[in-house]
Amino acid sequence: MSSLLSVKLGPLELKNPILTASGTFGYGLEFTDFVDLSSLGGICTKGLSLKPHAGNPPPRICETPAGMLNAIGLQNIGVEAFLRDKLPKLKALGATVIANVWGDLEKDYVTVVRALEGADGLAALELNISCPNVEKGGMLFGNSPKATASLVARVRKATRRPLIVKLSPNAPDLVESARAAHESGADILSLVNTFVGMAIDPETARPRLSFGTGGLSGPAIKPLAVRMVFQVARALPGVPLIGIGGISELPDVLEFLAAGATAVQIGTANFKDPGVSGRLVEELVRYCAERQKPVVSLVGRAERLPAKADEAGAEG
Amino acid sequence: MLEVPGLVRPYLRRPYSVADADSEKGEIEFLVKTIGRGTEALERLSEGSTVNLLGPLGNSFSVEGVPSGRRAAVVAGGIGAAPFPLLFRAVARRGASCDFYFGGKTGAELSLRSRFEEVVPGKTILATDDGSLGERGLVTQVFERRAAAGEPYAIVFACGPMPMLSALSRVVSKLRVSAEFSTEAEMGCGFGVCLGCVIAGAEKPFLISCQEGPILKPEKIAWERV
Repeated sequence: MSSLLSVKLGPLELKNPILTASGTFGYGLEFTDFVDLSSLGGICTKGLSLKPHAGNPPPRICETPAGMLNAIGLQNIGVEAFLRDKLPKLKALGATVIANVWGDLEKDYVTVVRALEGADGLAALELNISCPNVEKGGMLFGNSPKATASLVARVRKATRRPLIVKLSPNAPDLVESARAAHESGADILSLVNTFVGMAIDPETARPRLSFGTGGLSGPAIKPLAVRMVFQVARALPGVPLIGIGGISELPDVLEFLAAGATAVQIGTANFKDPGVSGRLVEELVRYCAERQKPVVSLVGRAERLPAKADEAGAEG
Repeated sequence: MLEVPGLVRPYLRRPYSVADADSEKGEIEFLVKTIGRGTEALERLSEGSTVNLLGPLGNSFSVEGVPSGRRAAVVAGGIGAAPFPLLFRAVARRGASCDFYFGGKTGAELSLRSRFEEVVPGKTILATDDGSLGERGLVTQVFERRAAAGEPYAIVFACGPMPMLSALSRVVSKLRVSAEFSTEAEMGCGFGVCLGCVIAGAEKPFLISCQEGPILKPEKIAWERV
């Protein structure tokens, strides 16, 4: 049964394609009342920096139609506390752990990656080059293919682990960024992070978030994310992709797989419904078992259809 | 955290404090004022409808901070009275008493007062900004006047808008009385994951309201950054 669900993303083999997205799943341990962590394909930790990071002042979140804006600002406990207090527990629970990493400068990323290199119980690394809510680092690396290539190449030299690069939908040319990340050594690409957005209080005319802008997530972004996965899948055939963006039910998962993602990450839906990731695994098991089809046969079905959708684009 | 199932707008659950609970009947009571999309969705429900509930979450007022025979005070602003029926009954069960300072802009904001008639184990003092009901003035001022004049309170429990709590933090500090405030923050998940509901902390940059609170001691909050 489980072999029906197992997927291989380059060097990373997962028991199933349902992962949880960084920043929406804490360090995983917060969810043990709701989900058997070992049942998930993997969990991506809150973005880790070298030192603990306080994040942005409130208000940090605001609801929007079918989603939300956030400008948390990468608040996290730091890599040392993660290795000491969280990772051993996650390992004991049988979780497949992917450490999400960020920094202000290239060397900060490298330092965190080195600190994680010897750790027992990490399946992969995910580089966050796409956070829109910090002054330095984050999205600045993701918005220029040159900066992406330089960072990924340096990190590649520092780790032997499977390397995922999480792409920004705010990049001027997503395909070029994806290509740069892949050619510089990324094994897997995850896409997309949040879209830069803004909400203004109509009475006071003040931005609703203290940071001014924030990252938009939730069902509102799903069609945008599906289109981006489709585009990158078509432009970079054979590069393993993880689809992210507004997934909350099984048809959403199937849609991202059809677009060309080999796995998916569940994000904002975890806030609304903490048990959703575990339930989606069960639903996908049932779906594949009833049809006697391995999940990999569902990957890229739309992408294999005659070319059309990626050409028409926004002019249509 | 409550949600009306199947809606994408409102999308996230909303946090409500439990007003009262009856374990024998299996009932939980929420006191809700319609102020936005989340509360509007609840208001539109007909009797017998289903809601999704995630909870109980967060901490509680320390009722054990009121020794038998002593007196506590509750200071509430508007719908900030919502968490107190349960607390009043718990204080009464301990053989302690508790005065209820209940304030609002106008008398209409105090329409909940009838809910409290049977349950307050002490005096009820109403205050309105416009003087249309009870004493005229901010409830924090009315509380300060009476608390300074009378027998000291063992502890003050409060809930209301952050500006009210900020003013009250100065009052309780001046009176040297310990206090616990149920704080207000934009909350995404309710279980410590989204990190949306932080409040500026006095000893560390931020307190996570849903996890470390929502009930916090006022001295733990950096009021100048709230």
